[in-house]
Amino acid sequence: MDFFFQLFSDPVGFWNSHTLLIAQIGINGILATSMFVVLFSGQLSLAAPGFMAVGAYTSVLMGLYWHTPLALGLVAGTLLAGVVGALVGLPVLRLRGVFLAIATIGFVEALRLGVILNLPITGEGLGLKNPSADPLGGINLILVSFVVVVFVAWRLTKGRLGHAWAAIRQDEIAALSQGIHVARYKLLAFILSAVMAGFAGGLEAHLNFFVDPGDTQYGVTRAVQILTFAVLGGSGFVLGPVVGALFITLLPWIFEAAGPYINIVSGAFLIAIIVFRPQGIVGRGGLAIIRPSWWPRARASAPSTG
Amino acid sequence: MLLRLDSVQRHFGGVHAVDGVSLEVERGAIQGLIGPNGAGKTTLVNVLTGYVPFQAGHAWVGADELTGLPAFRIAALGVARTFQNIRLFKELTAIENVLVGMHTRRRDDTLAQLATLPFFRRDQRGRLNEAHKLMDTVGLASRDVGDRPAGTLPYGDQRRLEIARALALRPRLLILDEPAAGMNPSEKHRIRELIERLNADGLTILLIDHDMRLVMGVCNRVAVLNFGRKIADGTPEEVSTDSGVIKAYLGSGGEREVRSAPGASGVDQAAEADEVAGSGRPSVEPENAILEVHGLTVSYGAITAVRGASFSVAPGEVVALIGANGAGKSTILNTLSGLLRPDYGSAMFDGLDLTAAKPSAIVRHGLVQVPEGREILARQTVLENLELATWARQSGRGAQGQIALMMKRFPILGERRDMRAGTLSGGEQQMLAIARGLLAKPRLLLLDEPSLGLAPQMVDEVFRAIEEIHADGTTILLVEQNALRALAIADRAYVIETGRIQLSGSGDDLLHNPAVRRAYLGG
Repeated sequence: MDFFFQLFSDPVGFWNSHTLLIAQIGINGILATSMFVVLFSGQLSLAAPGFMAVGAYTSVLMGLYWHTPLALGLVAGTLLAGVVGALVGLPVLRLRGVFLAIATIGFVEALRLGVILNLPITGEGLGLKNPSADPLGGINLILVSFVVVVFVAWRLTKGRLGHAWAAIRQDEIAALSQGIHVARYKLLAFILSAVMAGFAGGLEAHLNFFVDPGDTQYGVTRAVQILTFAVLGGSGFVLGPVVGALFITLLPWIFEAAGPYINIVSGAFLIAIIVFRPQGIVGRGGLAIIRPSWWPRARASAPSTG
Repeated sequence: MLLRLDSVQRHFGGVHAVDGVSLEVERGAIQGLIGPNGAGKTTLVNVLTGYVPFQAGHAWVGADELTGLPAFRIAALGVARTFQNIRLFKELTAIENVLVGMHTRRRDDTLAQLATLPFFRRDQRGRLNEAHKLMDTVGLASRDVGDRPAGTLPYGDQRRLEIARALALRPRLLILDEPAAGMNPSEKHRIRELIERLNADGLTILLIDHDMRLVMGVCNRVAVLNFGRKIADGTPEEVSTDSGVIKAYLGSGGEREVRSAPGASGVDQAAEADEVAGSGRPSVEPENAILEVHGLTVSYGAITAVRGASFSVAPGEVVALIGANGAGKSTILNTLSGLLRPDYGSAMFDGLDLTAAKPSAIVRHGLVQVPEGREILARQTVLENLELATWARQSGRGAQGQIALMMKRFPILGERRDMRAGTLSGGEQQMLAIARGLLAKPRLLLLDEPSLGLAPQMVDEVFRAIEEIHADGTTILLVEQNALRALAIADRAYVIETGRIQLSGSGDDLLHNPAVRRAYLGG
């Protein structure tokens, strides 16, 4: 509880002692938004760690070999992630639901096991030293870009593009009948999501002096973690996955008191959220858990059959 | 000429779903498209709107050729459609559904969104106003239901909302695929008014529906499809008295060919009126009924499919329930089998309350259904299908004897015993389904559309088999669209129209009653 107590009693001290954690929250928030964009357009893609790896290795290697400034490396990594996103997105666009998830996991694992763990330039599985990392200096950039990314995603869902995405998510066949170019909009969402993930990957790689090619970083485990952001927070609104990311990132502190049993307690807690709020923390009905009972609620009406 | 089709063709494997259909729709017309179940109407619409590729032929809307275009381009050309099984964006609000319909004609504001430029707010207000207006046009109170998720609206409102969404495209041609399906008479009346109002505003409409009163009442011209071919095209009067159309709808009498189909062209109108009046007399209900149904009312959510049906079946009878597609026939059978539960009414089968008993108990009590579409296990062999049917009842020799008997009754099944059931022809599959039903030792056998999708000779064979089973003493309740066929073998029959039993009588009586034609083709 010291953790949260300090947040209120000594914000400056909190900021100074937990900068890395705050940076990680910002990065996970961007990843959550990347997940949100594909889910909002009806695509269950788990490709984010692959695009993160593209962004991370591009920016780190450019700094290592060509001594480019960090900003240039980040931009290049982000763009390359977008290009890879287009290349991966085109062939898998026809896949839906769990089949798309499996295909994107295939991409993630092929990139990590097949390329990153084998190329000499990426360290052949031993990892990569990144002397140009600046763990504390990037915090402002991370927080600003986190806010910008969330804002962009939020605004996009409100316009013509967002309506088209929502229509595609609900019913592709009906969306076609309204003149919506379904394939183009799905690809657009996929690429946008790849760009966000690539950018987050580039930022994250500079938090640490060592780029670890492990499964929890660029593998399926990470993909599942990012998916959990969205499932836990709810994927109907952009804030859902972001709240989910905040939650997951802070779990070790929230359940600090559980000591050695922390994994059991936090696991049970996550299951409880899924059971009691299947639509996510910020799902339909809004913030029902923390909202006082007298607050006006959206009218709930029973869905009709047929 | 707004819409022109030239020998449009689409086959699925060996099924000629649409087989060279040509059609011309005048600008400003309401064109009807009708045909029995499986005639290819929806396939034709799907080809026309780009959901199923053309195999051959061409289509134009105005000067624009539709052939080979993807669905979203055809929509952008001004061809709007609704879907037979409503396809709304269920979690979006009603208003948002209509806004999505404006997709093709709103300017791309993706970048403007980021800055929330003033023009965007103005445009958005204009679109909202238009969406509200469109909802009001189709008779939805936009202020009340506009913000509700579309999936939570009542069924009839969902149908209307789908039309509003289609209108948001500002279409040149509106294709309505069964807009009145599942609606009650007053809702149907409102849909009819809506269609007439839209047409009066200059919209060309292609209407597909099974409700002949609606189609014949509202359309200028009607085209009739059967087995993928256009068999008639003309004014509603011409089409509803065309002998080919009547045959397509009522079926042929087979070996007992009926010389004059009920109410075929040439029948004196006055005589017809007399006969209709005469048919009001109550038919003789049996006293020792094995199955008695009273006031059965069954709904699917908001749709009431069966409204107060009462009928009975005596031991040893063949009783037919006939009526057009969507009349509620299968719903009645599924309720008797315990698969659906009625809202009201009673159904007693030899002392067992069918409205409360479990489906398995109903089968054990001797009421066995051969479902529509046959539902055989396609990957299992014929023998395995039959063995599974005896599984629950008995083991060992008894079962083998039963199966041997069945193979004697249906020799074709004996010949095909080791073939996978899915490779059998439709008629053979139907025999297998009936044999499987008989293995459950029914005291009352429910047959749901045994002739569905079969070629004429196979229909003959299936009906011959039914007559043989009946001769062996099995009581049969038969549901059929092929009315003349069913009436020819039935002791008694009930005619169902939109969930109500309209007529009843002996098979022979109804065979010559012009009101039967009305139940199918409207008045």
